[in-house]
Amino acid sequence: MLAPDATERFLPSVDRLESAMHAARRAFERGDTDGALGQLGVALKLKPEYDAAWILKGHVLQKAGDREAALDAFMQSLKCSGDSKEGWMGLASALHELGRLKEEAEAYDRLLAFDPLSIEAWIDKGAVLHELKDYSGAIRCYEEVLALRPEHGAAWNNKGAALLRLGQEAEAAGCFEEALHLDPDCVDAMANRVYLYETKAYHGEAVLWADRALRIREAPGLWYAKGLAHLGLLESTLAMRSFERALALDPTLKEAKAALGRATALRRKSDFYRGAYECFGTHLAGDPGCEECEIRPRCREVTP
Amino acid sequence: MSVPSAAEVEHADWPTLQRMCESLGLNPKGRSGVVRMRVLDHVRRRIRPESWRAGRDHMAALLTRLGYPNLSEDLWESTIRLDAPAPWVGLGQAQVAGGFLSEAAKSFDRAAQMGDRSALLHRAEALGAGGDYDRAIAACESYLAGRPGNLRALGMKADFLARSGFKEEAARVLLAAADSHPEAPFLRSSAGTSFLKAGRPEVALEAFGLPKLADAPEIEGAINHGVALLVLGRTREAVDIFQKAIEADPDRVEALNNLAVAQLQLGQPELAAANLARAAKGVDSARIRLNLAKVAPNPAPRPRAKKPAARKKPKP
Repeated sequence: MLAPDATERFLPSVDRLESAMHAARRAFERGDTDGALGQLGVALKLKPEYDAAWILKGHVLQKAGDREAALDAFMQSLKCSGDSKEGWMGLASALHELGRLKEEAEAYDRLLAFDPLSIEAWIDKGAVLHELKDYSGAIRCYEEVLALRPEHGAAWNNKGAALLRLGQEAEAAGCFEEALHLDPDCVDAMANRVYLYETKAYHGEAVLWADRALRIREAPGLWYAKGLAHLGLLESTLAMRSFERALALDPTLKEAKAALGRATALRRKSDFYRGAYECFGTHLAGDPGCEECEIRPRCREVTP
Repeated sequence: MSVPSAAEVEHADWPTLQRMCESLGLNPKGRSGVVRMRVLDHVRRRIRPESWRAGRDHMAALLTRLGYPNLSEDLWESTIRLDAPAPWVGLGQAQVAGGFLSEAAKSFDRAAQMGDRSALLHRAEALGAGGDYDRAIAACESYLAGRPGNLRALGMKADFLARSGFKEEAARVLLAAADSHPEAPFLRSSAGTSFLKAGRPEVALEAFGLPKLADAPEIEGAINHGVALLVLGRTREAVDIFQKAIEADPDRVEALNNLAVAQLQLGQPELAAANLARAAKGVDSARIRLNLAKVAPNPAPRPRAKKPAARKKPKP
């Protein structure tokens, strides 16, 4: 009685275009960048000004490691559709990979001019300004994010990191606290806390937070920071283990090699064993746990 | 051992905290803040192995329902993954809510191409909402090709057919649905009613089947069954059905009205007038009033008003 659904569909070229795009996406998903580029070639021959195809091509080329060509593809996509959020974000990421950070920041500005509510763009702009050492600018970006989404844990953490660079340690600590309150597993906020405590010579707190972060994600830098904190607590064996782990993850880490030498030398003089006390070096006068502690005298010695 | 709540851990004093550590098998040694954090971590992981957070898709679905289709569309677009049909369905629903029906149909089409057959029915709804009943029916048929006898799809197809003017075809679809779903007896009544509306009372009568006891959910169908009998001239059988319907629900004015019409056909105008008067009390309907006017005895002509006598002017 009625024509089947599929017989009424569009023009044949539209079908071919859709199937080429679909095949390209599938190939990209599989990791077959050559196959994806082949299908995108077909799609772009059918519709040369198809921004979605150029954007996908940009991502495929990025994955294939051809950064300049990826940048070209994203620029082509923006020629087709100048207000494509995805296009600007792609362009910015290609510029980031090429190390063209100022241009990357400008790309975010262009995007934010027509979409001032883009959380992604504000966060990424903040990150690139941080890299450009414009910490105040970065903080303004994170504040824009927090005005839109006060529960954005990553924005709190990034703001704290920028404040730390400006030497505003108390404000930075508040930001990390907020980030960890909103996302108790935020490794970056834990890592920043480690650096904050280490700069203040609170080695016990630094070890505590490094351990928490490392339980979630391993990173050579974190192992190195943990090792330094153990050195501060005169725990040479634990320090050596940390530096060794950092070097196993990243054998090029020169600082870890040098610190391993220092830890080995220290072991000849002192090697404290903390036992069951995870919080060693975080003594708090009047605390009931500290009152009962078996290694309290030693803990007091290393607590600033 | 039951796991304490986070609030209990937050407010526990030192001895309680230590007891909690012992019962949970945790290290009880160290600064109280650190021990508390240890217990809280344990509680957090035990109670919520994976803490739930509203993902973008959750927020997008809520935004559609809260009446913010534009924001929802943006969110859905950001969740679209290759070969995952669900975000396309969500995007389509947001587009329907925003009034972009043709865009919605395309989104549902993409989801259907990715293997989500139910997207065909969403597509049919979007097309139907835009008045494109032919393509809506075609989408239902595409769905039914894979799942013949699906009640929702059959119902939607019948609805679109009826709305596009094909009432008899709609009735046939409902009849086919009734045959494949004997657990849904209302389908036969619906099919019969549709045939009746399409002007096919004899086929309607077949669809209704044998007269049934008029219980509350079936009363509508029973009344229409009676109407089919009345239209076909089987007035006494119709009267039986209407009377049973009124017994089941004395306030059913349609049944009273139809019974009165049948009684009028049987030459019982007094009974008809009484039932219509009862129906007219129940609901103010123009049709019932007209029927009542037909059966009510003509009132005696009113005497004409006499011309008043000219008043005498009072003497001063």
